[in-house]
Amino acid sequence: MAINLKTPVVESREQRLGTIIAWDGTASELAEESGYARGSCAGCGPKARKLCEIRGPFTQGSICSEMMVECQAGNVRDAVTVQHSPIGCGVGQVIYNSIFRNGLAARGLPVQNLHLISTNLREKDMVYGGLDKLERSVRDAFERHHPKAIFIATSCATGIIGDDVDGAASKLEAELGIPVIPLHCEGFKSKHWSTGFDATQHGIVRQIVKKNPKKQEDLVNVINLWGSDVFTPMLAELGLRTNYVVDMATVDELAQLSEAVATVSHCYTLASYMAQALEQEYGVIEVKAPQPYGTAGTDAWLREIGRVTHREEKAEAYIEKEHARIAPKLAELREKLKGIKGYVATGSAYAHAMVEVLRELGVQVDGSLVFHHDPVYDSQDPRQDTLSHMVDNAGEVENFSVSNRQQYQFYALLQKVHPDFIIIRHNGLAPLASRLGIPAIPLGDEHHPLGYQGLLNLGESILDVLAHKKFHQDLAAHARLPYRKEWLAEPDPYILARESANH
Amino acid sequence: MTEIVPEKTNSIEQIRYGCAIGALHSATAIPRVVPITHCGPGCADKQFMNLSFYNGFQGGGYGGGAVVPSTNATEREVVFGGADRLHELIEATLKVIDADLYVVVTGCIADLVGDDVGSVVGEFQRQGVPIVYAETGGFRGNNFTGHELVVKAIIDQYVGDYEGPRTQGTVNLWSLLPVHNTFWRGDLEEIKRILEGIGLKVNVLFGHESGGVSEWKEIPKAQFNLVLSPWLGVSVAQHLEKKYGQTFLHVPAIPIGAKETGAFLRKVADFAGLPKEKVEAFITAEEKRYYLYLEDFSDFYAEYWWGLPAKFAVVGDSAYNLALTRFLVNQLGLIPGKQIITENPPDDVREGIREEYRHIADDVATEVEFEEDSYAIHQSLRATDFGHKPPIIFGTTWERDLAKELKGALVEVGFPASYEVVLDRSYVGYRGALSLLEKIYTTIVSASA
Repeated sequence: MAINLKTPVVESREQRLGTIIAWDGTASELAEESGYARGSCAGCGPKARKLCEIRGPFTQGSICSEMMVECQAGNVRDAVTVQHSPIGCGVGQVIYNSIFRNGLAARGLPVQNLHLISTNLREKDMVYGGLDKLERSVRDAFERHHPKAIFIATSCATGIIGDDVDGAASKLEAELGIPVIPLHCEGFKSKHWSTGFDATQHGIVRQIVKKNPKKQEDLVNVINLWGSDVFTPMLAELGLRTNYVVDMATVDELAQLSEAVATVSHCYTLASYMAQALEQEYGVIEVKAPQPYGTAGTDAWLREIGRVTHREEKAEAYIEKEHARIAPKLAELREKLKGIKGYVATGSAYAHAMVEVLRELGVQVDGSLVFHHDPVYDSQDPRQDTLSHMVDNAGEVENFSVSNRQQYQFYALLQKVHPDFIIIRHNGLAPLASRLGIPAIPLGDEHHPLGYQGLLNLGESILDVLAHKKFHQDLAAHARLPYRKEWLAEPDPYILARESANH
Repeated sequence: MTEIVPEKTNSIEQIRYGCAIGALHSATAIPRVVPITHCGPGCADKQFMNLSFYNGFQGGGYGGGAVVPSTNATEREVVFGGADRLHELIEATLKVIDADLYVVVTGCIADLVGDDVGSVVGEFQRQGVPIVYAETGGFRGNNFTGHELVVKAIIDQYVGDYEGPRTQGTVNLWSLLPVHNTFWRGDLEEIKRILEGIGLKVNVLFGHESGGVSEWKEIPKAQFNLVLSPWLGVSVAQHLEKKYGQTFLHVPAIPIGAKETGAFLRKVADFAGLPKEKVEAFITAEEKRYYLYLEDFSDFYAEYWWGLPAKFAVVGDSAYNLALTRFLVNQLGLIPGKQIITENPPDDVREGIREEYRHIADDVATEVEFEEDSYAIHQSLRATDFGHKPPIIFGTTWERDLAKELKGALVEVGFPASYEVVLDRSYVGYRGALSLLEKIYTTIVSASA
C-alpha cells in the first residue's frame, strides 16, 4: 500500500498498519496472527489485519502524537516548532528541552535550549478560532530565530474547533520564503502515539527533503532519537557516511535525506514511515533486514547494507573482526549472567530486539510487554518482521503482552515471571517495579545495546543494575501501592476487558 | 548592545506554567487522593512529566504520576461525547484503585464537546462515593487558576457544609502551589513546623505532613485561614469566609531568614491571639540556632577572596520571587537588578504586588515586571545593567544558557528546574534560609575553578 504524501494529514498507524494497543498471548501466536507471508492474514487485504484487540473499561494515562512531534520536529536544531494549542500542550517543552540538551552534549554538539513556541489559546479563541494567533506566532518564530523551517503542531483543541492550519501554513510559507509545515497530530486521532512520529516524517518528506536530489553514493540516513554516536564508526568500516535524523539534525541534513543511498534505523517503530516514503519517492533504499541487535540481527543487517551499497567484502571483514573481538567478553558475561531473569517493557520493535539481546547474553526472558503492536511495517516486507525474527532466533516468549503503558496490568505480568530486572525506555512502569523490589535499566541512550558492542554494553549494565536491587528491595518493604487488594490478587491482567466483552 | 524588548504578543516560548488540568497535582499532593483525568491520551503524562518529573524529579507519589486513571479520549469521544466513557472509567477505577477521594479533572476535549461531567460524577456522589470534579480544560487558564478550581471543588463537593463550633488555635494554610513550586514539600513542612512552634495546630492540607482527607474535613472547624502568598489562595479564603464565616489573614511574602520569619510569626500570633510568651520563646530558640550558623557563614562571607555577586535577578512566580527578593536584599545585602514575575497573576492583584516591591526594605525600592514569554524575559535580562560584575540569577532551567552568556551564576529555584534533584529541601523559614545560603554559595564557589 503506497504511502500517500498528497494530503497534509498523515494516515494514522491503525489505518495504515492495523496497529493495536492491547493483546495477550505468546509471542509466536502474535507473530502468526500478524500480517506478512507466513501469517494467517492472507486475503485480508493490506489494510485489514484482523488482530483481535482487547478493549477494557479501565485505562491509565498514555502518551499522545503531539508529544512525538514535539520531541522530533521540536528537536531540529535550526527550525522552530509552533504549538497551536492552549498552554497545557506547551509544558512538553520542559522534558524535550532537557532531553535535547543532554542529547546534544552526548553527541558533542553545542548545547542549547530548544525552540518551541505556544500560541497560548484561550477560551475566546475556542469560540472565534485561533488563526490570528497562529500567524502571529509563526511570524514571531521567524523574526526571533531566523529559522530554516517552521513546523506547526496541531492539538486536540484546534482539531475540534477546526482551524484551517493548512491554509495558514501555505500563506505563511509564501510570505516568509521558508518551509512552513503543518503537522497534524491531534491526540484523539490515533490510539497510539507513534502516529506522531509518522506525522513529523510526513511533513519533512513533503516539504523539506530535496525534490531533485543529487545522489551521494556513500551517505546513509540513520533514523534515530538522541542516542550516542555509534553508527558513524560502524558505517565507516564500510566506507559509508552517516546522516542522523530527525532529532538534533539541521534542516539541511533533513533536506539531503533524498540524496542518500540507503536508510537504516535503530527501531522500525520509529523509522517505518519515512524510510518507506523515501524509497517510494526518491529510490533511497530502505534496508530491509532484522534490526542491528544481537549477533544474528547485526550480521544480517550489515550484510544487507553491504549488499545494497555494493560493499559486501567490507561488511564481511567487519563482521569477522567484530565476532572475534567480542567473543571472549561475551563468554565471560554469559557465565556471570547464568540464572538471571529479565523482562522487557519498551516500544514494540525495540522490545523484539531487546529480547534477542538478552537471550544471547544467556538471560532468561519469560515475559515482555510492548506498548503497541504493528502487524506490519510500511514496507510490508517480511524481512522486517521483527517479531518473527525474535521468535525464530531467540525462541518463544510465553507471556507476550501488548499493553499501552497500563501499569495496573504490569503488576500481574510481573507476578507471573518474577524477573530480577526490567528493561524500559518510557516512564510509568519502572516506578511500580521499583516498589516491588525490581530494578530497571532505563535505556535513555537507545544505541547502548546496539550492534556487537551493544551486547557487551547491555551485559555490563545488567551486572550494574543487579547491585541496585538493594535499594529497591529496601524500598519494597516500605512502599505502598495504590491498587486495591482484590486487584493485586487478580492473576489475569486483562480480566476487566474480558468481563466487559462478555456483557 | 542594542537589545529591544519585543512587542508583546500571544506567543509563549519556553513555558513557565501548565494549563488548568495541571491542577491534577493539587489532588495528588493530598495523601491518598487520586485524580481521574477525562482528557486526551497525553494530558496526564504531560502535566506529570513536566511539572513534576523534570522539575526537581519529584516523583509520582501514591497515585502514580503519569499513569493516573485517564479516559485517553479518542475520536469516538469527540464525535459522540465522552460522558459514557467517563462513567465507565469511574466505575472501573473504583474496582482497581484504592483511594480516599477521587478528583475528576477534565481537559480541552471534554470541555469543548460539552460533556455533562457534573451529572456523571453526581450519580456516584449520590451513591456515597468520595468523588468530586472540576472543569479544567486547558483553554480555561493555567495551573494556578486550576488549583483554585480543584480546591474549591473539594471544599464544596466533599468537605461540605458545617455549622458547628470552631477550634481556637487551628489554622488552614494556603501557600505555595504544590508540585509547580519545586520545593513545596520541604517548604510546607517548614512553614507548618514554625507555626506549630508558636502554638498553632496547622492543617497543612498538602504534602507528606498532611493528614489527608480527614484533615480536609477539619477545614471548617479551624479558627482562621492563613494565605501565605501574594495572591494564590486569596479567592479560596474568600470562598471559605463566605461559606463558613471564617476569617483570614493574608501575608503576601513567604518569610525566608530569621528577620522575616520572626516578623511573620508575630503577625500571625497577633491575629490568632496567641500567648506572647510561647511565641517569643520559640522565636528566641530558633534565632539562637540560626544566628550561630549565620556567624559560621559570616567568615566565608567576609573573607572569601574570589568575589561574590552583588546584583541579582529573580525570574519566577510571584510567591518565590517576592520571598527571595526580600531575603536577598535584607539578609544578604544584595542589590536587585531585575525582578520578573512569570505566572500571569490576575490583573487586579498586580498593583498590590508592585507595591510590595516598592517597599522591599526601608531604603530599597524596586520595580517588578510581569512576563510569561521567555524570549521577552531573556531580552529584558540582557538589557539590564548588572554593573561591573556578573549577576546571580534565581531562575529556571531556561536561564542556563543565558547565565553563561552573562558569565553569571544560576540557581534553579522554580519550574522548570530540570537540573535539580529535590526531596525535602526547603528554602523558607529558619532552616530553609540556611539551605538556601548553602545552595547559593556552593554554586558560586564550585564554579570558581
